[in-house]
Amino acid sequence: MVLSFSVLLGGYTYLAREQHKINPLDKTIPTWSQLGQGVVKIVVLDHRSGKRWIVEDSAESGKRLFLGFFWGILGAILIGLLIGCFQLLEAAFAPPLAILAKLPPTAALALFFVMLGTGTGMYVGIIVVGLLPALAQSIYLSIKAIPTELINKALTLGASRTELVWNIIIRYIFPNILDSIRLQIGPALVYLIAAEYACAQIGFGYRIRLQARLVNMDVVYPYLALLILFGFFMDWLLKKAQAKWCAWYVKKEN
Amino acid sequence: MNETVLEIRSVSHFFRKGLTKNCVLHDVNLKVKEGQFVGLVGPSGCGKSVLFRGIVGTHPPKEGEILIFSGQENEVAQKKTKPDRNVGIVYQRYSLFPFLTAVENVAIGLMLDQTSIPSRLFRPLGWRKLRKRHLQEATAMLEKVKLKDHLYKYPAEMSGGMCQRVAIAQAIILKPRILLLDEPFGALDEATRTELQDMLLTLYAENVKAKQKNERPPYTVLMVTHELTEAIRVGDRVVGLSPFWNWKRDFQEFPGSTVVYDKPAPVFLPKQPVDFQAIEEQKDEITRATFDPNYTKNHEEFIHLWDKVSKG
Repeated sequence: MVLSFSVLLGGYTYLAREQHKINPLDKTIPTWSQLGQGVVKIVVLDHRSGKRWIVEDSAESGKRLFLGFFWGILGAILIGLLIGCFQLLEAAFAPPLAILAKLPPTAALALFFVMLGTGTGMYVGIIVVGLLPALAQSIYLSIKAIPTELINKALTLGASRTELVWNIIIRYIFPNILDSIRLQIGPALVYLIAAEYACAQIGFGYRIRLQARLVNMDVVYPYLALLILFGFFMDWLLKKAQAKWCAWYVKKEN
Repeated sequence: MNETVLEIRSVSHFFRKGLTKNCVLHDVNLKVKEGQFVGLVGPSGCGKSVLFRGIVGTHPPKEGEILIFSGQENEVAQKKTKPDRNVGIVYQRYSLFPFLTAVENVAIGLMLDQTSIPSRLFRPLGWRKLRKRHLQEATAMLEKVKLKDHLYKYPAEMSGGMCQRVAIAQAIILKPRILLLDEPFGALDEATRTELQDMLLTLYAENVKAKQKNERPPYTVLMVTHELTEAIRVGDRVVGLSPFWNWKRDFQEFPGSTVVYDKPAPVFLPKQPVDFQAIEEQKDEITRATFDPNYTKNHEEFIHLWDKVSKG
């Protein structure tokens, strides 16, 4: 890992130096010192708004992302469990869910704009619609993949229908749920940034759009780095949760 | 006292695919008494698994009925239509919950059987006390199947033989009326298989002891197996299910497999000498009666224990 990062950083340094030899005013591949200035711009008080960009953008994007994740995951778990465990609900909801999963939420941005306005609800809505069908389908398929023998076994041990869901099915698929959530971190960020890029007055997407127009890549790159760091952090957190709560799964995988 | 645990009455089963009717079982009758260890054998595709699923209750038969008796006086037998704790089960694979350790796997039956979600949620102190007792009972059961050093291992960390030991402990801790074993040792090597057969025979020895004390034998087992030696060695009775019987006498089309062999088998407890000659002779007899497509007559001579087998 250290080697690959060293190569990446070394390559960037070389490119920036070469570019500045050609055009000393170049802003597309900023040098490390330009990037440092960009970081300063992000963290110091903005003289117009009187706020720090990083603080207000992180707070707003974080709130949107958290709410989107919360409702998307909650809804997906509920719907996935219901259609996975009850045949009647499977017949009713699995087909529309499969159709909804094919809809790229960024393409339906106008729809969210009309239906949910331009407030936080719109960003939350787009993340929920983006996450929920794929996550619910993944949970539903995980339930369907549980060996029938295991279900029968639980019933012969005296499990009720509720206990079957609570004590067996949820515990069995829990690591798969965490894996599916990990896979949805990237798409969720894409939906949020795309929506903010198009409509927001504050947030990561808005700031990136604004600074990209001015070709202030010294600001854009740190923002992108922050997004990557955030994605890694979430992934690490979920992996830790998996190791703590699903030791059996981690051992099996190893 | 009713000694019958399981009664299969005139069970027939078929599958429909469009207009085609695929008959699997025909007029199967079987009665299993308390304490018996029955080996169920038959050629591949003869319907052993269909009968097995019928007894578990996941796929009730199209005709006839499967009854489980609780062993009380004047009881009304329970017709099997769904799985429940009266019939324990051990599969060849997927018998254990992968997210639970060995001891938790054994204790989960006690939890599911004796408590409910509300009782566990709203009476946490009582539940904690009970949980401790369940784990103690599960530990004792695992000691019985010689796994006391592996209590906290997950199924993925145990060998196939160890997993099957845990699965048997998991099933018998609930004291089901009958324990079904679906080719339980089929995926194991010869040495482990013999070891586990010995373990089953120690359970059989407990039955013998209980009978000597005039008590009810605690274990009744029905084991589906491909291994004839296993069926003879572990079972005190062998039942053969076969599609090769004299059906052409009464039917134009094949009506399904039926019981063509039902005889006692010698039991050799772990420390007793094994009479291999007797095993080989019975193996030949079972092979002829059950697996030979050319042998379709006179099956009556192979049926000693059940007096109402109609067509075999």
